[in-house]
Amino acid sequence: MKNVTDSFVSLGHWPSAGSFGFNTDILATNLINLSVVLGVLIFFGKGVLSDLLDNRKQRILNTIRNSEELREGAIEQLEKARARLRKIEIEADEFRVNGYSEIEREKLNLIDSTYKTLEQLENYKNETINFEQQKASNQVRQRVFQQALQGALGTLNSCLNNELHLRTISANIGILAAMKQITD
Amino acid sequence: MILDYILSVYVHSKCIHSKCICIAVRNPQTIPTGGQNFFEYVLEFIRDVSKTQIGEEYGPWVPFIGTMFLFIFVSNWSGALLPWKIIQLPHGELAAPTNDINTTVALALLTSVAYFYAGLTKNGLSYFGKYIQPTPILLPINILEDFTKPLSLSFRLFGNILADELVVVVLVSLVPSVVPIPVMFLGLFTSGIQALIFATLAAAYIGESMEGHH
Repeated sequence: MKNVTDSFVSLGHWPSAGSFGFNTDILATNLINLSVVLGVLIFFGKGVLSDLLDNRKQRILNTIRNSEELREGAIEQLEKARARLRKIEIEADEFRVNGYSEIEREKLNLIDSTYKTLEQLENYKNETINFEQQKASNQVRQRVFQQALQGALGTLNSCLNNELHLRTISANIGILAAMKQITD
Repeated sequence: MILDYILSVYVHSKCIHSKCICIAVRNPQTIPTGGQNFFEYVLEFIRDVSKTQIGEEYGPWVPFIGTMFLFIFVSNWSGALLPWKIIQLPHGELAAPTNDINTTVALALLTSVAYFYAGLTKNGLSYFGKYIQPTPILLPINILEDFTKPLSLSFRLFGNILADELVVVVLVSLVPSVVPIPVMFLGLFTSGIQALIFATLAAAYIGESMEGHH
């Protein structure tokens, strides 16, 4: 600090070492070289820098565009998948409804056929019963006739003698003659 | 002196950078143009450097590395490109700030503090267990490393920048007109590289102290 105040005091000794001021020696201050260097730097550096920055911008643009396209593609696929899902759901519902009506129909068919089979079996049963009844009644009739014939035969055998036999034969001849006369 | 410089760097990091960026990114578009594009590019570059060196938790350290890089880069290039010699001061001169050992030591000490802070907040006091990895025999070397890291950082930067400036001054005093120009270009190139090296090394030290023993 003391040095600075001293140098302010010695400001009257312009220009001398130890004071503020401007150095006007162009060569010593290197102005020409500096301006050349700066000029070259800006000239080439501008091209390089703008190339770099443009590349970066293009890269960012491309990345954004790619991700947008991917997003669009993904949304499209999602829509397609959703539409397919809806269609398949409708078909599944149809199948379900059809299936139920089929089941109902099958059930009714089954009931009908079972009913018919039952009826047939009833008929068979009734027929069989009738047939057995008739068989039984025929058997009974046959037995009765057999008994009657046996009784008659027995009676005849018991009370048949020559005389009766001769009278019966003559009676039969007379009937036969009469029948022959009628038919002539 | 060093504390002044440390303070100035801190202020620089917090205020000036955010003001620049706020002005440039007033109306952020999705597709960047012009200034926004440029600042985003710089930010991506610094983020890439930090991510490569530090690893996964690089997020909180991007501002610090960015400050280091940008401060050193702008100091070096402004010292090399702008005609500071026009203004004469009673004591000292106007030139690149980094051609003074105080600045570079301040930056190196900041880096040192930063990687200590990183290690301690990440691992707690078991950070000091790192000194005896892999074998306890290497303990003195590890302790020495804590001193040589900031030393090497500061001297590398200081040496490069001061040397370039001195060469240009000597050449100008000898042959003022055309001959210094290639040397000035070389100086621009190396000072840019030095800024990148400083930032990369700072990030590497921070990453190394954060990875601990897992």
